[in-house]
Amino acid sequence: MTQHLNEDDLYRTSSQYRLWSFSPESLATLRRKTHELAITRASQYAPKSKSSLWQDGTAVDCLNAEECLRLVQRYLDQVRTTSDHFKWPVPVKATAAQYLARFYLSNSPLTYPPKEIYKTVLFLACKTEATHMTLSEYARRISTPADEVLAPEYKVMQALRFTLDVRQPYRGLKGVLMELLNLAEGRVGEVECVETGGAKALQAEMLALEVPARTAQTMWSAKAAGKIESKDVMDRINAAYSAARTILDGPALLTDAYFLFTPSQILLAALHLADEPLTSFYLRTKLPLDSDLRPKILTTIAACAELLASFSGSHILSKDERAALEQKLEGCRDPSTRDLVGSHAVAKRGGDGGEEAEEKARKKKAAREKHLKEGDDLFGPSLNGKG
Amino acid sequence: MSRIAPPKVMPVYKRDPRTGVVQSQDDVCPVCKSARYMNPSLRFLVNPECYHKMCESCVDRMFSHGPAACPIKGCGRTLRKHRFREQTFEDIKVEREVDIRKKVGATFNRREEDFETLLAYNDYLNDVEDITFNLINGIDLEETNKKFEAYTRAHGKEIEENAQMAVQERQSFSAAQKLERQQARERREAARREEEEEKREVEENRRDVLNRLASGADAETVAKEGQRVQLKKRMDRQAATERQRQLQAAEDAHSECNNKFVIKGLKTKQKPAPEALVDPFGGLRLVDSYFTLQDDYIWEGIQEARKDVKQTAGGYDVRDYAHRSLVAAFSGLGVFVADEITQRDQLAQKDGVVGEDVGLKDAEMIHAP
Repeated sequence: MTQHLNEDDLYRTSSQYRLWSFSPESLATLRRKTHELAITRASQYAPKSKSSLWQDGTAVDCLNAEECLRLVQRYLDQVRTTSDHFKWPVPVKATAAQYLARFYLSNSPLTYPPKEIYKTVLFLACKTEATHMTLSEYARRISTPADEVLAPEYKVMQALRFTLDVRQPYRGLKGVLMELLNLAEGRVGEVECVETGGAKALQAEMLALEVPARTAQTMWSAKAAGKIESKDVMDRINAAYSAARTILDGPALLTDAYFLFTPSQILLAALHLADEPLTSFYLRTKLPLDSDLRPKILTTIAACAELLASFSGSHILSKDERAALEQKLEGCRDPSTRDLVGSHAVAKRGGDGGEEAEEKARKKKAAREKHLKEGDDLFGPSLNGKG
Repeated sequence: MSRIAPPKVMPVYKRDPRTGVVQSQDDVCPVCKSARYMNPSLRFLVNPECYHKMCESCVDRMFSHGPAACPIKGCGRTLRKHRFREQTFEDIKVEREVDIRKKVGATFNRREEDFETLLAYNDYLNDVEDITFNLINGIDLEETNKKFEAYTRAHGKEIEENAQMAVQERQSFSAAQKLERQQARERREAARREEEEEKREVEENRRDVLNRLASGADAETVAKEGQRVQLKKRMDRQAATERQRQLQAAEDAHSECNNKFVIKGLKTKQKPAPEALVDPFGGLRLVDSYFTLQDDYIWEGIQEARKDVKQTAGGYDVRDYAHRSLVAAFSGLGVFVADEITQRDQLAQKDGVVGEDVGLKDAEMIHAP
């Protein structure tokens, strides 16, 4: 009994679809609930702290949801720059950014400030994406003690629900590039149910494509004079590819695109922003005109493109703003999670009875040292403790 | 005073070389009180009725004219001459126990295959052992004997069938063993014969070559011919043995069917159906619905990889990369996350009582330390 799956069914089996895909409403609800839980928890530890920010036991000056989001976004950007600093391949960057975003869906910066988490997340991503760097080297280059890098790791894993696979659009974009170049060359892989005029007709159509709009992100511009040749079309395709790639590197990671859309839709949206006529032409060769999915797909891609376009670099916090927010956070953060290294060490050692274990270890060590010392004694070690 | 040789010390225990029975010098028949001293070939027999031992002559004397009472004081059981036999075990208690077990085992001879579950079989074994224990130690003899009779009456036919099966199994097993030994012997013979043949041929060849050389032929041609002839003979012989082996195998297969033993009462065992070829994808097939893979892509990444020895030497096909990239390009194109997630949440709310928590499970992990 064979069951035929197409590419969409394949995506539906991924953990990204099952656990980390949301509608805009459910995403907002989740974030709101997380923040509310953090605030309620904050009101519990508030009276204990003698900070001046807390008065009458009410949260006077805690970070609100908007500020939390922007702080997380700032650190998403930080993760990106650090990954570039290490010159790691782009999947590591995307994975690390996604891990951080997913972590802060179920935890709040009030409990775990992102400053302590983002290095762990980046290390985890580099391990996942097979560009492993030893912990000591990583800690040295990022000037952090190795314990601090490892301490939050288990919590991060729990928050990620142990699903480490992040589906990314980069490989798909390369595939689209390959196909477009072949189309320009006059070769085509026919998709069934799609009416095209054949390879030559498609090539001609490509040559006759209208130029991209002024607002498009691609760097390509039509030659002022003369016919467009296939070489020009290829330049156009490559330019569109690099523009799309830049979009995927930046806005796609810093917005909620991965939660709301699938990687395929994200990459086509990026291409749409880069060079709209080219993308529409491409989709015409892929989706049959009479299918009922077609309008829906086109609207989804348009919506994603809007999301990506609406992001601008100025949204990210500047250095001063970040410093200010972090100072505020310092006063209202959860004090019980302050010492992550210590709690990690206790957990490793076996948790309860830590003090007893310490006592025993100390006694054993003292006995061992005494034995060693007496071994060197001229008259040998003492017998049965009697001198 | 002449020196008297010290009395020869007769060993107290001696093993009879013929029967292996340990004979003590002080063996005395309880009935006629004759000792081994007077009668070196004294043999004791025992009757499973009461396990009292007596010498052979007493048995002959007393029981040759029909059943009589046991002469041992206090035991008056009627004994029969044909039931007397040599004691197998030194300890008479062990002898008695073994006899009882044999008797019980002859009746309670079910097998594991007859039971549905292992527990049932073990319970059966437990009951059998209870009966045996009671019989050996004389506990609740009446009840136990009644159980015994009841079982024998109820399952008489099956007991007989099982006994038959056991006998035939033993026969077939010993026959199979004999057959194997015979085959092994034949194979050894054949191997030895072959070796001899080979040696003889080599000798012949050498002699032939020498003769030819002696008769003045060219040394090189003679040598070459000799080698060729030898090689041909060896190939022929190998082909012949191979053919013979195949024939033998065919014959064996044929004869096996003829010599099949017919065993009555066996449960028909179904041969397990031949295992289907393992399908690594478990019946799933990926269909490319948004694209068709082309043979070659002009993109320089593909072209370079095709020419790069490091990539192609291991047998890697660059089309795999292209296929994977294109699948990734369209994987999820028709998946509308917003609609499907809302649908899923609604369903979850309808079904589950804890529908509220479906979305919140993650958020609650804040409190997990």
